Amino acid sequence: MTRNEFLSKLADELKKNNITDSDEIICEYEQHFAFKMADGYSEEEITAKLGNPAELASQFESVGEVKKSGGRKAATIIGLCVFDIFAGAFFVLLAAWEIIMAVFSLCNAVAAVCLFSGISPWSLIPSIPYWPSMVFGLSLSALSVLSAVGCIYFTAFIRQLMRSYSRFHQNTIAAASGSAVLPSLGIYPRLPAKFNRRIRSVALFSLTLFTTCFVLGMIISMILSGALEFWHAWGWFGYKS
Amino acid sequence: MNIQYKKGVLDLCVLSLLKKHDRYGYEISEYLSNHIDIADGTVYPILRKLKSEGLLTTYMQEESGGPPRKYYSLTKLGLETYKKERAQYLNFAKRVEILLEDDSNDKE
Repeated sequence: MTRNEFLSKLADELKKNNITDSDEIICEYEQHFAFKMADGYSEEEITAKLGNPAELASQFESVGEVKKSGGRKAATIIGLCVFDIFAGAFFVLLAAWEIIMAVFSLCNAVAAVCLFSGISPWSLIPSIPYWPSMVFGLSLSALSVLSAVGCIYFTAFIRQLMRSYSRFHQNTIAAASGSAVLPSLGIYPRLPAKFNRRIRSVALFSLTLFTTCFVLGMIISMILSGALEFWHAWGWFGYKS
Repeated sequence: MNIQYKKGVLDLCVLSLLKKHDRYGYEISEYLSNHIDIADGTVYPILRKLKSEGLLTTYMQEESGGPPRKYYSLTKLGLETYKKERAQYLNFAKRVEILLEDDSNDKE
């Protein structure tokens, strides 16, 4: 069989099987011939190795045409848009919480620095003896680290949630238009194992440090001021002793 | 060898070839017919099927001294499917091997 015989036979068989994009398929086989002939094979040899055109055409048949779907897709997209409004509001809320956590962490860090250095901007930090100030400073810096870790983890969580949501989005549209669907994604962040371990030990360490120093600071302050409610004794929060 | 055996795993072989880098149709056809005894023409229906399932995408690329070639590239879905099916196949093949080896040992 020659090249032209093979190709016209294949085109006929494809047409018989109602393959719509037969030109593209023929083009692929034309390229095959071009490559093989460049390598010095004869047309007969090439067609013999390619296989029977009718058999090949029937393999294309089993592919199946893309399913038709009319109004379902439009309805799905409208539904998704409505859903997006709620999901969007939810994401804004999550982002706001993220910002609050970051600001909390920053405030703690600033307060800790003020306590360590004895600076009191706008007299916001009440007067406090040296040792309690150091211990409370340590406690606040641990709290700052702890909330920073929380921030990092929460960022990863929001990111994964967004990816998962966008995958859901794609899949819903893909399913409605009858095309291939990707596997869905989980909502929990999958951090690298090493990073995960490190972040956990930092969180545990800072939690312990914060709690210990806070309690210790209270006790020292109570002893130094000689009163259980030491803030009264030192005239904090507007109390005058 | 039974053609039905080969047909079942050819999809997987094509995905495996494309995992390394993008290739054009003839390249895949040549590689497979050199390694597995199949008719040259059978690769193209497989490529088209994988494309219609969304596992592959195509793009044209100009080559010096020749017509543009149609390159096949693995999609994200294709990669995920490949990984899943590869694991399944290897596991299956291992079990079959154990079974068959066992049988020949039992022969007295």
